[in-house]
Amino acid sequence: MFNLEQKISEWRQQTKAAGVKSPEILDELESHLREDVERLLQSGVSAEQAFEIAVQRIGRPAALQDEFAKAGATKWRRLQRWKEALLVFLGFPLPFPNALTAGARETLELGGKEALGFHHDFIGTEHVLLGLLELKAGVVRGVLQRMGVDHKTVRTEIEKIVGQWPMHQTMRTPPYTPRVKRALVLAGSEAKALSQIHVGPEHIFLGLLREGGGVAAVVLKSLGVNMQTARAEILKELGRSQPGA
Amino acid sequence: MIEKELVAASTEPLILSLLTRGENYGYELIQEVKRLSGDKIQWTDGMLYPVLHRMEDNSWIKSRWVEIENGRKRKYYSIKKDGHQALKEKREQWTLLSSVFNGLWKGQNV
Repeated sequence: MFNLEQKISEWRQQTKAAGVKSPEILDELESHLREDVERLLQSGVSAEQAFEIAVQRIGRPAALQDEFAKAGATKWRRLQRWKEALLVFLGFPLPFPNALTAGARETLELGGKEALGFHHDFIGTEHVLLGLLELKAGVVRGVLQRMGVDHKTVRTEIEKIVGQWPMHQTMRTPPYTPRVKRALVLAGSEAKALSQIHVGPEHIFLGLLREGGGVAAVVLKSLGVNMQTARAEILKELGRSQPGA
Repeated sequence: MIEKELVAASTEPLILSLLTRGENYGYELIQEVKRLSGDKIQWTDGMLYPVLHRMEDNSWIKSRWVEIENGRKRKYYSIKKDGHQALKEKREQWTLLSSVFNGLWKGQNV
């Protein structure tokens, strides 16, 4: 004699064994299975057939688990982003000088000079971007040049947006804006994701792209630099030549 | 039958669009899609749920359990503000694609 309740309970066990551990997800899947069985019964098939068809339709437990794992990975990435934001908020020591390559340090120094050139009393993402474009070493300058972006065009765009401030006494070492700090933390995680111990200029660039909200990102966008493409290009270059500058 | 890749790409906009009509649960969403597509869009039923969960993680939709008759329960999903925004963007993309094809295929017999 076919026992539907027993079959459903067995199916739940099997699905759980395949890795779908969350009781809430199991409840939801079971609710679906019961719904389907019920409709099939109404259409006149036997309980046994209804169960077989419904199980078939809901899919293999292992495949389901794969998909839930992928969805979970998205959640994990978002947690990472929150963690990064929190580190910035807590004033995590930045810009971790020991972790930077010589090229990255030079980029930030050049960025500082750019800020002074504008008579700005902060170092923003736009200044760091100019620093990247001035840096001779590394892949960033080349990639951006191929996309039609160089120091001069960027500077012109920045002037359009923020303008040059009138000459006044600026701090010798202006502070980084929160966005730059965030971009540097993101640069750190980019380097980590690429299994690099040190943060190079290319990671700083990726950090600026990922931060996405600063003047640098706005300028790049208005110059037609597509974030995704730029990112892909940089990653391609990194794959070709070993970074380290 | 619609190809696998297209089915995958259209799942989220389909769900979001259906949810703009009001809250709904997984099983019924699948039935709606089957009905609307004349059975041409076939989801593996279970595969809908990871998508729903991912969309919920994205804050596009939210869910609640609703008790129905004889102690059974269903998980109902509804669209949130971010979901409307996401749908707007997806809709623009699909509309563009559709108009490109319409333009290319106008007057052609296939």
